[in-house]
Amino acid sequence: MDRIEPASLAGVDTSARDALRSDTDEIDLIPVRTFWQLARQRFMQHRLAVIALFVLAILLVMATVIPLATGIQYRLSDLRLINDGPSLTAPLGYDEVGTNIFIRLAKGTQSSLIIGGAAVLIIVGIGTFVGAISGYAGGWIDNVLMRMVDVVLSLPVLFIILMIVSFFGVGDIRVVIIAIGITGWTLAARLIRAEFLTLREADFVQAARALGAGHRRIILRHILPSAMAPLVVAAALGVADSVVTEAALSFLGYGISPPDASLGNMLNKVRIYFFSAPERILYPSVVLVLIVLCASFLGDGIRDALDPRQRIASK
Amino acid sequence: MTNAVDAGDVGLLELRDLKTHFFTQDGTVRAVDGVTFEIRDGQTLGVVGESGCGKSITAMSVLRLIERPGRIIGGEVLLRGKNVLNYSDQEMRDVRGNQISMIFQEPMTSLNPVYTCGDQIAEAVELHEAISRREAWGRAIEMLAQVGIPEPARRAKQYPHQMSGGMRQRVMIAMALSTNPELLIADEPTTALDVTIQAQILELMKALRERNKMAIMLITHDLGVVAEMADEVVVMYSGKVFERADALTIFEQPHNPYTRGLLASIPRLGDKRERLEVIRGVVPNPLNLPTGCLFKRRCPYAMPVCDTPPPVRQVKAGHISRCWLTPESEPPSIGADAPPEVAEAAAQELTVAGR
Repeated sequence: MDRIEPASLAGVDTSARDALRSDTDEIDLIPVRTFWQLARQRFMQHRLAVIALFVLAILLVMATVIPLATGIQYRLSDLRLINDGPSLTAPLGYDEVGTNIFIRLAKGTQSSLIIGGAAVLIIVGIGTFVGAISGYAGGWIDNVLMRMVDVVLSLPVLFIILMIVSFFGVGDIRVVIIAIGITGWTLAARLIRAEFLTLREADFVQAARALGAGHRRIILRHILPSAMAPLVVAAALGVADSVVTEAALSFLGYGISPPDASLGNMLNKVRIYFFSAPERILYPSVVLVLIVLCASFLGDGIRDALDPRQRIASK
Repeated sequence: MTNAVDAGDVGLLELRDLKTHFFTQDGTVRAVDGVTFEIRDGQTLGVVGESGCGKSITAMSVLRLIERPGRIIGGEVLLRGKNVLNYSDQEMRDVRGNQISMIFQEPMTSLNPVYTCGDQIAEAVELHEAISRREAWGRAIEMLAQVGIPEPARRAKQYPHQMSGGMRQRVMIAMALSTNPELLIADEPTTALDVTIQAQILELMKALRERNKMAIMLITHDLGVVAEMADEVVVMYSGKVFERADALTIFEQPHNPYTRGLLASIPRLGDKRERLEVIRGVVPNPLNLPTGCLFKRRCPYAMPVCDTPPPVRQVKAGHISRCWLTPESEPPSIGADAPPEVAEAAAQELTVAGR
């Protein structure tokens, strides 16, 4: 044991000794970071998610700015420009009816993103509501709701959507959104329910109950924030799913039909040029794949960022 | 049931023949089976027993936090003379965290990981008092200071994972006391902490008990903690109260063989023995309880008469014990191995004396 001689301390000035003593409280000197600061730090570590955010941002800007700037050009055809090659005003050239492909692609991306975003709201909304009640209540309520999920799952989704769309109006974007929304919430509901089932038994939920918190407060304030991870995953998958479903629907001619633009109906139109102009198939496909991939990666990143238990790796 | 309840005196909390059973697929588990005791204002009651003896379920029953497949099937929980078992859900929520607060065993998991400590204390206050967010936050900081957390204003903004176990238990205590409850139920508050922190937390609870003039129901299996804190002690076994007396009597003159066994199994410094004194056997399977005395299979004093459920007898004023043994003097040296006729005779004699 090294014993400190009183004499050795005598000459030292007090500030140094105070510094020595406060050494034990070093942890208290680490600045307190807010939740969002921490979340941002965790997000930035997720390189793929950052790239995905970047790509999605570019797509979003293009899908907003270009249709705004060019008005109805996406549906105008100029017969003199049929199959014209790329130029400065039309980086991707003109299609077989003389429409600017780039502008049309931007408009199609816009439709896809609107549908993906709006449908996912419905999906997450219904999914969270059903999943939360099911997992929290348990018992027969859980049973009834989950059997309902099974029923919806057992339906041939695309067929149901086709039916709804053809019944309520082909080509109406709102009908497409609702049709995708009300058939796609089952996965979200199951994920949320599973999370609620475990969290319901968590000690901190018991503690909240012992403090006199009511059911609504426990569900909304104590369990839901911790169930964020599966919620974000469900949302990311929901966006990807909705965009693909919309494309399939439009490809079949039941979604958004020309002259309105969508990635699906663009694909449908160019399928006959598979051998003569394969690059035209590539354009909408690449955008579609980018949206789906980026949504997934972004979802991953956000999920990890929002998890306060996740450690921040030191540089 | 014999118990010494002073007539006319409305205590803080009184349990009367409380029964909480769990209806599982394998059968009925009588987790709490006829528990009777009371807690007076400012008193600290220690509830002691092995794991699974129904201590925690008793506490949860008081707050009516029993979940399926459990159910409170009988008895009364009188809070200031009113039976909380008849309260509506809303009335019950007003009691929880307000009149009666609870702190849990696991400080590591009992705090919500997604909110700051200050947030959680403030919420506890907001639940029961019409108070602005800012005032609640102020109270939270004040409470953190009261439970001895340095730099409370800064600590309030930290998340539970940024704190140590002892700190978190302090936060839990701050949360429980933020509404100034009349009764604090502490369910093994120091079990998950190391010894020095344990001592600090117990000191803190003592200090706050004096300051707030509140009663504490201290659930523990640690007799050392009981000796440190409790005024009165309830010893539970397999869902029943086996002995109840003031703390000094429990430690100095325990009557029940189970209590004696518990006390004998505490290791002591300077002990020369090779092995620890233990209570033989294991806690009976709650689905398959023995007939008669629940402790008879493990009891060194077991007699044939123990096949009949033992009476709850008053040993002396304020001291009751659930046993066939006579209250007077030492129990007779009749073991389970004793010749049947000797035991029979002794049991006969005791039964008469007991009735």
